[in-house]
Amino acid sequence: MLKKIFLPSIFIILAYGFWISPDFKEISAGVAIFLFGMITLENGFKLFSGGTVERILQRSTDKLYKSIGFGFVTTAIMQSSSLVSVLTISFIGAGLIGLTQGIGIILGANIGTTTGAWLMAGFGLKVKISAYAMPMLAFGVVLIFQKTKSLKGFGYILAGLGFLFLGIHYMKDGFEAFKETIDLASFAVEGIKGLFIFIGIGIIATVVMQSSHATIVLILTALAAGQITYENALALTIGANIGTTITAIIGSLSSNTDGKRLAGAHFIFNLVTAGVAVILIHQIIYSVDIISNFLGIENDNHTLKLAVFDSLFKVMGVLIFIPFVDKLVTFLENIFKNKSTENPEHFETTQYLNESVLELPETAMAAIIRETKHLYSNAFEIITHGLNLKRENIISSMPLEDVVKFPYSDQAIDIDDFYNHRIKGIYGEIIDFSTKAQSQMSPEDIEALYAIKLANRDIVEAVKDTKHLQKNLIKYDKNPNTYIKEQYDSIKIGLAELLRNIDLISKMTEEDEIILLLSKAKVHMQKYDILANGTLDNLIRHDLITNEMATSLMNDSAYAYNISKNFIAMAEVIFIDSTGDIKNIGEDMMISDEDVDLILQEKDN
Amino acid sequence: MGIKKFISSVIELLELDEFENSGKKKSVKRLLEKLKTRKEILDKTLKKKINKKEKKELKEELAIVTAQIKKAEKILETLNKKKETKISKKTKDT
Repeated sequence: MLKKIFLPSIFIILAYGFWISPDFKEISAGVAIFLFGMITLENGFKLFSGGTVERILQRSTDKLYKSIGFGFVTTAIMQSSSLVSVLTISFIGAGLIGLTQGIGIILGANIGTTTGAWLMAGFGLKVKISAYAMPMLAFGVVLIFQKTKSLKGFGYILAGLGFLFLGIHYMKDGFEAFKETIDLASFAVEGIKGLFIFIGIGIIATVVMQSSHATIVLILTALAAGQITYENALALTIGANIGTTITAIIGSLSSNTDGKRLAGAHFIFNLVTAGVAVILIHQIIYSVDIISNFLGIENDNHTLKLAVFDSLFKVMGVLIFIPFVDKLVTFLENIFKNKSTENPEHFETTQYLNESVLELPETAMAAIIRETKHLYSNAFEIITHGLNLKRENIISSMPLEDVVKFPYSDQAIDIDDFYNHRIKGIYGEIIDFSTKAQSQMSPEDIEALYAIKLANRDIVEAVKDTKHLQKNLIKYDKNPNTYIKEQYDSIKIGLAELLRNIDLISKMTEEDEIILLLSKAKVHMQKYDILANGTLDNLIRHDLITNEMATSLMNDSAYAYNISKNFIAMAEVIFIDSTGDIKNIGEDMMISDEDVDLILQEKDN
Repeated sequence: MGIKKFISSVIELLELDEFENSGKKKSVKRLLEKLKTRKEILDKTLKKKINKKEKKELKEELAIVTAQIKKAEKILETLNKKKETKISKKTKDT
């Protein structure tokens, strides 16, 4: 309902304003151009974020003070705390950083936004910045039309800055002209009543413009033109700080639990800071005067003093909050609980795929890899139980001959049921999400994503093959013919070894060990080729098994071979790519089928 | 000059392609060292008195490690050749 009224109301207010005052039209156009500049700037930085972001992020957010620094620097460079917030939600969603680091970034971003006020008060209002805007726009647009990603990104940034400058110019002109017709300062309200009224106006203005940055610029231009008093400007700044969290909350409504937690942290932080600022307003104003004197700012230079106020109250807020970050994390985790990964019918769903990680190709890729590992983990369990083995025995150091002696259950598990509940849905979502994610990826990333999609298919195929294999594994498990039982036990042992090796690879970092284990798995896979190695011939020739048994064994060996092949191929993509050195040489060092033949020959000599 | 040509000449000037190759070379060298150490240990263990099953397993591991060493040496050789060809091309040009 509110949503339906909101937009038409804005249009009506704007139309009425345009009709009664051409100056209001100029100010509004200035705000619109400024906001458009911010959107353009954000697009530019998104194009530049490829690859390096993840690396920088992991190195610079491992400690709270580092994440605060990261938030400050990135916001100061990008001049947009909302972009930093959106990216932070995306990083948390992909599991690249935790909520504590995310909150650190948000705290830093809050201080980072104050650089905008300093730039505006110290430079933007004194210099005729529209003179810079025109060439920036012209050069920027030419660069936007280039095909190279970096040039395009640079073009967006240049054009974005151009629009920002142009917007400020129009706002300045509008207020200057406005001053001659109406003196807004005459509406100034003194005392505590004025403080709350202007805090309210600051909140509304920021919610409407969806940017505290734009509100602060508007406040500074109005203050420079003498349209509002210094005290009212301070209240508006506090209001803008609260308003910006409301836009973040609206934005987080469609995001995942982490996004909601982060928006919650942002809201609590800004609201408490604003509360403290209101309570200590006189002391803060007094401190601002002292700092301004120390910095050599003249007493009547209210715009620069507003920048001091903005910085002081945000730094103060961060200092107050630092000791409570861990408590805040626990509180938010209790308030916004992770939705169960299973729905009422126990159909397991994805854990890492959500709209927020689609913001950057790296976060999307990281989330898809994590989700594939989740799928692998489910498949590992289903295959283990399908072979009637215990998971804990496989991942232990128990001799493999003993592992097969301890069955998981007396009854066969329903692999179809497991597949429908724990594989099918996740697999479908991964493929669907990958298709969405690849629309903003580079050709190299799309190629890597294709390999991950194939790895997912390999996992699913392995589960399906286990289902086919399971029937005869049960049938021949208690068969009086020891020869056929021995063959099926051998298949079980072989697959148990494969699962153990893949589990080890998933936990390893030493590249020589990873390569060795994968090569071993490839070599051992050949034993399922019972036609080529003469096992089947031997059993039939000596009449040790029946024809029916021979057919079953041949088919089931092929299934075991396929399970091994698919799991090895999956491990080469999912577990190798994330490791250091091996990333450079992984593909070149993998042994081929010819190598396997040579190894088998050498081994037999 | 086209943008592509400009970028490729910058890459050549700053020897950025060499940077990528040298990264790969370092990785192979490091791996080769590890594989050689592993081979030495395997050789030594095989000379000791061990049971048949263990011997079979170690022999297989040795065969794999030997194949990997050959592979790594081949990669290293190719990377070195690439560099040599580039240097000789440069000297010819100057």
